[in-house]
Amino acid sequence: MFTKPKTVAGPAIASIQQDTRAAVVMVTPAFLGLLAFIAIPFLLAIFLSTQNLQFGSGLAPTWMGLEQYRRILLDPLFRADFYRALINNATFAVVVVPAQTGLALAIALLLNRRLRGMPVFRTLFFMPVVFPMALVSVIWKLIYAPDDVGMLNTVLKVVTFGHIQPHDFLGDPKTALAAIIVTSIWSGVGFQMVIILAGLQSISATLYEAASIDKASKWQQFLNVTVPGLRNTLVFVVMVTTILSLRLFDQVYIMTRGGPLNATTTVMYQAVTSAFDQGNIGRAAAITVVFFVLVLGVALIQRWFLREEREIV
Amino acid sequence: MKPIGRVASITAASALLLAVACGGGSPAAATVNGGSGKGTIVVWADQSQSGQDKATQAEVAAFNASQTDVKAVLKFIPDADLDKTTQATSPSQLGDVVEVDGPYMQAWIREGKLGPIDGLVSAQTIQNQIPSVIAQDTVKGKLYMIAQIDSGLGIYGNKAMLDAAGISYPTTLNNVWTADQFTADLAKLAAKNPSGKALDVKLNYQGEWPTYGFLPIVYSAGSTVMTGGKAAGNLNSAPVVAAAKTFASWKPYVDANTDDSAFVKGRVAMSWVGHWVYPAYSKALGNNLVVMPLPDFGNGTKTGQGSIAWGINTSRGNGKAAAKLLDFFANDANVTDYTSGAVDGDGAVPATKTALAESTLYAPSGPLYLFAQQLNKTCGSGPATKDCVAVPRPQTPGYPVISSDFSAAWFNIFNGADPQAELTKAAQLIDTDFQDNGGYQLSG
Repeated sequence: MFTKPKTVAGPAIASIQQDTRAAVVMVTPAFLGLLAFIAIPFLLAIFLSTQNLQFGSGLAPTWMGLEQYRRILLDPLFRADFYRALINNATFAVVVVPAQTGLALAIALLLNRRLRGMPVFRTLFFMPVVFPMALVSVIWKLIYAPDDVGMLNTVLKVVTFGHIQPHDFLGDPKTALAAIIVTSIWSGVGFQMVIILAGLQSISATLYEAASIDKASKWQQFLNVTVPGLRNTLVFVVMVTTILSLRLFDQVYIMTRGGPLNATTTVMYQAVTSAFDQGNIGRAAAITVVFFVLVLGVALIQRWFLREEREIV
Repeated sequence: MKPIGRVASITAASALLLAVACGGGSPAAATVNGGSGKGTIVVWADQSQSGQDKATQAEVAAFNASQTDVKAVLKFIPDADLDKTTQATSPSQLGDVVEVDGPYMQAWIREGKLGPIDGLVSAQTIQNQIPSVIAQDTVKGKLYMIAQIDSGLGIYGNKAMLDAAGISYPTTLNNVWTADQFTADLAKLAAKNPSGKALDVKLNYQGEWPTYGFLPIVYSAGSTVMTGGKAAGNLNSAPVVAAAKTFASWKPYVDANTDDSAFVKGRVAMSWVGHWVYPAYSKALGNNLVVMPLPDFGNGTKTGQGSIAWGINTSRGNGKAAAKLLDFFANDANVTDYTSGAVDGDGAVPATKTALAESTLYAPSGPLYLFAQQLNKTCGSGPATKDCVAVPRPQTPGYPVISSDFSAAWFNIFNGADPQAELTKAAQLIDTDFQDNGGYQLSG
């Protein structure tokens, strides 16, 4: 009677110990990578942000305390630019995340039909993802060019029989960020589309059959079969899109350089230009630390949402 | 790009920190260790115009073929990343011979990446350099670089379009136009042009262009960037604010030049840019091309000067071998090659007296004689008086900060921001940075 649990527990404990060992071995490379590329640089960034360190000054770094933080957060001379960058980042994310996810879902639904030549359409929609952002930015800069040089202006002029006058999309503070948003969605939507497409195909056809036997309309099928079936996929897509949209840099650097009048400046753009145009490493480090904390906050909130969804499924 | 970018920048910064911490880091004017004058040297060159790149390749190959003591290995750094890359590289990992943009030279010296070259390079090479590059490359009486080229800045004009609009334009330094005349002429030209545009100021250029191209306006207005280590009261003084306002008033006439061909395609009659476009402009317009000085904002016309040059990295101990390459670069055949000779050059101003005298472009009858005249009237390191014309960019290790803050302010003003507020902000940002870094004073 007393021996039976023992015989069961023995191998179980051994296998747990074995599992733990295997887990440690497997997690080590990733852990070392995180340590070397995230943790240590971040700690160094915190340290650097307390230093007065300027490329080209030839001076050893000196202690500056929280002065860099005071400047970017409180000093009227610096803070306006930083807050403007935060607002631009937030605007970009708030527009791009729902728009890009919604568009990706719509395209995925269209491309999930059985039609001849469907792989061609799928390839076409995915293609922008393959192009490097730098290339996309240069091409779109030409598309947006003011006057008759720009493709968009020429097209608008022709289709409206000259009623829409040429507009400097990237040169006007009112339209510059919107123009970058459109470019970003165009180049990024294919990636989300492919993930959603995979999610769609994992939804069992029997569910749709059952729904149509129940006389559910297409719209009802979408709401009650497709959307619940895609829930985890959509959560993942929203998360990835949020992260991708917070990293906004390449398009801005190439298309507008943060201008005109700071209309498209972003936190990453300011960090990079502080460090590499101005050589001010201390300020750049402080910007990245503040931004890291903010992104961490966004990530934690999203993790909380993700957990909720998993419990439902 | 966000996480990667962040990590990359932090890693680069920490690498620098380590380098600074290990290397002692106090500003010291290091001297070049001459070495044996033999062996292999590494050359870090700026990869910019294909013509110049080919010339550099050909010259290094010719140097290696001409003697057996020194073998030069050429490495190109893309122009857009040159300053970033070299700033983040520790002296021992840089090349023995380095190509440095004039205004960045002082930062290089402070970081121990350049040493004085008097005594290494032959006296004949030094004597033959033109005065404007000697002024650029000398700090506290010591010469640090040998130049193959200097630069010229002006306004290229489309003669047919200018004549059709009935405007009289200057082609020498004797009768420059005032800013007011220039503004009026822009309006006349724009009225004649279906596009409504008249001027190209290379809005498509990035990086340091606004500082090179438009800082002369500050001097022409009778002010300067800094006096006594202070930008406030200089860069934001009333004449500069007025000049910036005038510049911004030209915006309706300025072509965005996204395709970099506003001038060659005849969309505008004038293009405000440096010598490097001459081959393309000359090819497109032929005899229809005229070169004009920049407008006078009150203190006489002013223009830019200075360009990249070759220096010797202090810390690698191959000074004598490196100097042989510099001597070779500075001979007439190579300077001519690099500027406008056999290899498709970019029309730069030859930086040696003998090559300049031989140049067909810069001879008194040549099409770019104006640029040679402007450089001849260099303001040197002194104040920009009414009579001198070519003004070097601010000669301080704090130049990248000045350049970045001035460019941002200048474009904001051009795009409609308040000139007084923008220039005051730029001046305060510059002053804050100079205070942080002890005014960037060179010791020794």
